[in-house]
Amino acid sequence: MAAWDLSIILEDLGPDTPPITLSVSSDLHVGGVIIKLVEKTQMKRDWSDYALWWEQKQQWLLRTAWTLEKYGIHADARLLFIPQHKPLKLGLPSGMTLKVWASFSSPVFQAVMTICRILNIRHPEELSLLRPLEEKKKKKDKDKVGEIYDLTGVLSTSSSPVSLYNDVPAHFADSAEMEAIYKMLSVTQTQPAPEIITKQYRPSSVVDKAHINGRWLDSSRCLRQQGVQENDLLWLRFKYYSFCDIEPKYDAVRLTQLYEQARWAILLEDIDCTEEEMMLFGALQYHIGKVSQSEPERMSTNAAMENLESALQSLEVKMEGGSSSASDMLDTMMAPELSDYLKIFRPKKLTLKGYKQYWFKFQDTSISYFKSKEESVGEPIQQINLKGGEVAPDVNVASQKFLIRLLIPSPEGMNEVYLRCENEQQYAHWMAGCLLASKGKSLADSSFQSEIQSIRSFLAVQKTNSGSSSHTLASDESMNTHSLVSPRYHKKYKPKQLTPRILEAYQNISQLSMTDAMMRFLQTWQALPDFGISYVVVRFKGSRKDEVLGIASNRLIRIDLGVGDVVKTWRYNNMKQWNVNWDIRQVAIEFEGNVNVAFSCVTADCKIVHEFIGGYIFMSTRSREKSGTLNEELFHKLTGGHEAL
Amino acid sequence: MEQQSDEEVELREDEEDEEEDSDKDDQDLDKMFGAWLGELDKLTQSLDDGRPMRQKAPLRQETNMANFSYRFSIYNINEALNQGDNVDLDALMADLCSIEQELGSDPKPGGGGGGTRSGQSDAKVRQKPPAGRSSRHHVRAPSGHHGKAALNSNYSLDDITAQLEKVCVCVCLCLSVSVCVCFAPKLNSNPVMRSIVHSSRSSISSASGVSVNSASSMDSLDSVLHSEGGAPQISEHSYLDTHTSLILRNIEGKPPHLLTQEEQAAKLKADNIRVALEKIKEAQVKKLVIRVHLSDESSKTMMVDERQTVRQVLDSLLDKSHCGFSSDWSLVETINELQMERIFEDHENLVENLLNWTRDSQNRLMFTERVEKYAVFKNPQNYLLGRKETCEMAERNKEALLEECFGGGSVSVPEMEGLLWLKEDGKKSWKKRYFLLRASGIYYVPKGKAKASRDLVCFLQLDHVNVYLGQDYKNKYKAPTDYCMVLKHPQIQKKSQYIKYLCCDDVRSLQQWINSIRIAKYGKQLYINFQEATRRSEAAYDWSSLSSSSIKSGSSSSSLPESQSNHSDSGVSEMTSSSHARSQSVVSSIFSDAWRRGTQGEVTHTTHTHTVCFMCLLSTVNDP
Repeated sequence: MAAWDLSIILEDLGPDTPPITLSVSSDLHVGGVIIKLVEKTQMKRDWSDYALWWEQKQQWLLRTAWTLEKYGIHADARLLFIPQHKPLKLGLPSGMTLKVWASFSSPVFQAVMTICRILNIRHPEELSLLRPLEEKKKKKDKDKVGEIYDLTGVLSTSSSPVSLYNDVPAHFADSAEMEAIYKMLSVTQTQPAPEIITKQYRPSSVVDKAHINGRWLDSSRCLRQQGVQENDLLWLRFKYYSFCDIEPKYDAVRLTQLYEQARWAILLEDIDCTEEEMMLFGALQYHIGKVSQSEPERMSTNAAMENLESALQSLEVKMEGGSSSASDMLDTMMAPELSDYLKIFRPKKLTLKGYKQYWFKFQDTSISYFKSKEESVGEPIQQINLKGGEVAPDVNVASQKFLIRLLIPSPEGMNEVYLRCENEQQYAHWMAGCLLASKGKSLADSSFQSEIQSIRSFLAVQKTNSGSSSHTLASDESMNTHSLVSPRYHKKYKPKQLTPRILEAYQNISQLSMTDAMMRFLQTWQALPDFGISYVVVRFKGSRKDEVLGIASNRLIRIDLGVGDVVKTWRYNNMKQWNVNWDIRQVAIEFEGNVNVAFSCVTADCKIVHEFIGGYIFMSTRSREKSGTLNEELFHKLTGGHEAL
Repeated sequence: MEQQSDEEVELREDEEDEEEDSDKDDQDLDKMFGAWLGELDKLTQSLDDGRPMRQKAPLRQETNMANFSYRFSIYNINEALNQGDNVDLDALMADLCSIEQELGSDPKPGGGGGGTRSGQSDAKVRQKPPAGRSSRHHVRAPSGHHGKAALNSNYSLDDITAQLEKVCVCVCLCLSVSVCVCFAPKLNSNPVMRSIVHSSRSSISSASGVSVNSASSMDSLDSVLHSEGGAPQISEHSYLDTHTSLILRNIEGKPPHLLTQEEQAAKLKADNIRVALEKIKEAQVKKLVIRVHLSDESSKTMMVDERQTVRQVLDSLLDKSHCGFSSDWSLVETINELQMERIFEDHENLVENLLNWTRDSQNRLMFTERVEKYAVFKNPQNYLLGRKETCEMAERNKEALLEECFGGGSVSVPEMEGLLWLKEDGKKSWKKRYFLLRASGIYYVPKGKAKASRDLVCFLQLDHVNVYLGQDYKNKYKAPTDYCMVLKHPQIQKKSQYIKYLCCDDVRSLQQWINSIRIAKYGKQLYINFQEATRRSEAAYDWSSLSSSSIKSGSSSSSLPESQSNHSDSGVSEMTSSSHARSQSVVSSIFSDAWRRGTQGEVTHTTHTHTVCFMCLLSTVNDP
């Protein structure tokens, strides 16, 4: 067979180096070409990661057994001999930027799997890569670029499940720095300053949100094929809102990053919520931030150690056996006494008396009050059982107002009672007592002290907010409540107005552990009506105007662009088949009962829509299998379309 | 009076003989009845001295009824008493037996709750309204002694007797009124009380003579008492004589094999006391006698304990009434005064809910089949897919839909929204508003705004309210339709501005709203309840198809047989009856105490509610 010249560019030698020319014949296989090439360079190095890239066709020549003829390569082909793995800058939901090795030759789906393995994130199929928004380059770039954490030294271990060493994946445990980076990944970031939130891009309409979804990379093609260059920045995000079995024990990074993504979605009004919900989100963020700072050790303690500890504890209890009665009894005996002079006011009673002072005494879940301390041995004037009631704070530190509003149920209705405390100290104790009592717990409950603490720390926030001149408090306590809510509420409320609202929501969650609080945040987020809907602007067949298609984990929603109303919902359960006509870029779906829907996509490629639908169907097959291995082939089958085959 | 009651029991004995010829154990029980009746004489003799120790009448009533742990409905009891049929003491006895047996068959290895018991009871006592009178003598906190044996040996007889007393008081009050209160009367220097304890002890021991089964809860208590009985009566003031406690203190820390016989005996004694105290603690569970109304206007009296869930009560009702095992059987609370009702959820605590009723309440508890209870899960497509037309769905798809909505980590609340009528506070006018349901509560769209989430106004959050079905509000409140629902705190029993009334246009949207609110409030729990209910009804179906003949004979007369809960006519009793003998003996002693109290109440004319109610009970027993 005739030999011909094939020129290959070796990028490593510099841009101006002339291509290396090999004499090849058409029946030479790709592997042979590479051997010849390496011989010719006369360079001794590890070429194992290198492969041939065909520039015109935007294609890797990865099948080394294929001949040049089979690939259809002729002398005019522009071939590059380049490494398959290159560093990539990765923006995480938390805002951290990492530098990692990523495969530029394997499908994005696989590349994400590898990245997730490095980061110790389970269920990589839920994540994907997103092109970042082009930021308006008004300001100088240099102060915007945050620190980039280099993880290129970390090589992922084999495909076996990541082994944890001291709660840190083995590949992170090599050096203290690496371990520190891992800690950053698995612990939430401190609350952003309000200005940062306001400055960030916020989608203001469904169309804005739809545009974001046009940025997802194609899972079935590789990074290089999609024009991603070495050291480019891509965002790693949760794409499919169907989170399989979150287990805080194994999912430290996954849970944290998911929480971060949810938090930013709330803060940037990516998902709409009511004011009450926003206050709860704010309170949870405050709590998570506080706990993550105060007890980072607890986060990192080994699970095995924890088990041992609890085992020891239970053993202790067993050992005590008979005398546990004594300690229990001591507990009861030692139940904190709470009695003091407080002022009471009943707004609903038609009196003009205002606040009256009495001697108050906490007993179990009830408050009794007496004329004076001296008379407290006798019958109380009244006894108020707080169990099942509502307790709300009404506090203004600046004006020294410490009010506990009680709403006590009775057969006749709810009785409103206000208790006025003199100072912070007194308020924290009585408030904590009231909160416990409303849940049916007495002061002897172990959470009494921590409840007092959390109330006091929140009061401290208010203090710094109101008295702007005092900067005496530690940085973590001087947090601005504006950084807990979306910018809409920055305008609506001043920090000192916002604090009591958040405080009110906070009291119900102040005793949650960090992971519980995060889970609660996620659950509340998932319970929002608009949760998990990815929008795409489409044009339905036969329609003249653009409409919005919402893609959720179980259904497709047709939304009127003008009014924002849901026009029609189709569920995947009823779906018989869907396909894409790649020529006219149209998605056609057939539902049971002869319902046919066809649309073309405006703000995103139809491949993205196709992948969303196929992806969600893939996600729904996971739970049934329950096996740890990921059925990659099925994913591509469902999402790839004919193009990939 | 004793004479009469004696006859009464005799009569019952005869009846039972006819009914249960084959059941030997039950005959033994009846003998025991006779045995404890003999005790009554002794008891009443000592009663005459007992006047001074009655508790004072409670403090003046508070607006907040929750202060008192003994709220109950006299109405229901009176109604029960006034009805033609006798209060079914047999049924109650059986309930008592089974409850007692439950307690007995629940051994706590290691025991060791004695001190806890005292501590808790002390706490309970302290929360009682007459705080000044609370019996502080009750606990001698041996804070200095951490040694187990020493600790236990420090319990005085008074402590034990007080505990015993309480058990009796507890259970007997259950019989007489709805709620029992564990009050510990002062008995330090009260001869009556001691004699009570003695008599109850003797009744127990006499019972144990009959009882065949050993290793039961009461036997252990019994043995404690026997061991005490062996000791001379002088040691009344400390349970263990000084000698024993001295020994116990000495052996502290010694390995068991080094103990002398005497020391071992002392240790055993202490251990026994501990076990006994543990049992007493178990027995102090609050119990409530409830009257359950059936759909055929009859009713059934039964006893529930404060720990029982609605599901457990339903199960025992289903077991007794042979009415099939459909998962639709429900306990429904009807609040007559407010014309509303609510199906109790299976996971709810029944006693807790019933304690919300006021003492003069006309509320009823209905045992009835309600398709709407689990309609959400039987036809999820009508509730979970937004508010479109009713439709059919394949079973397979239903399951998938339920799994989708309830199987994941978070429950998706059905998207309910629409125009509803809201009754204005204090007026009989209704205003239309656009309401939306979210997981965080019910919202409405303010005037002139679009329904964007951020503009919604929170109507109420669901943490503190339950959803009720309003009845006939067209008449009562001039509602636009009769499809009304009510949201209120469960404790509210009277008209109040805190009750929110909503009115739907049709029954379908009413059911959708009510069920969606339930989902928003209870989430996955509701689905778990349903699964549990179906599982049970299926299991019961399997079982009943096996022994269908017996079921048929039992339920031939009516689908809802009257309250014959004493002896079930199915095969189940065969298995459990052997343990009845034992527990019945305990009950007998408790009963004897109940009688004593009743008589005493009559004699002393105290106004104490418990006594009053018990007298009602007495009077019906006396009037044939």
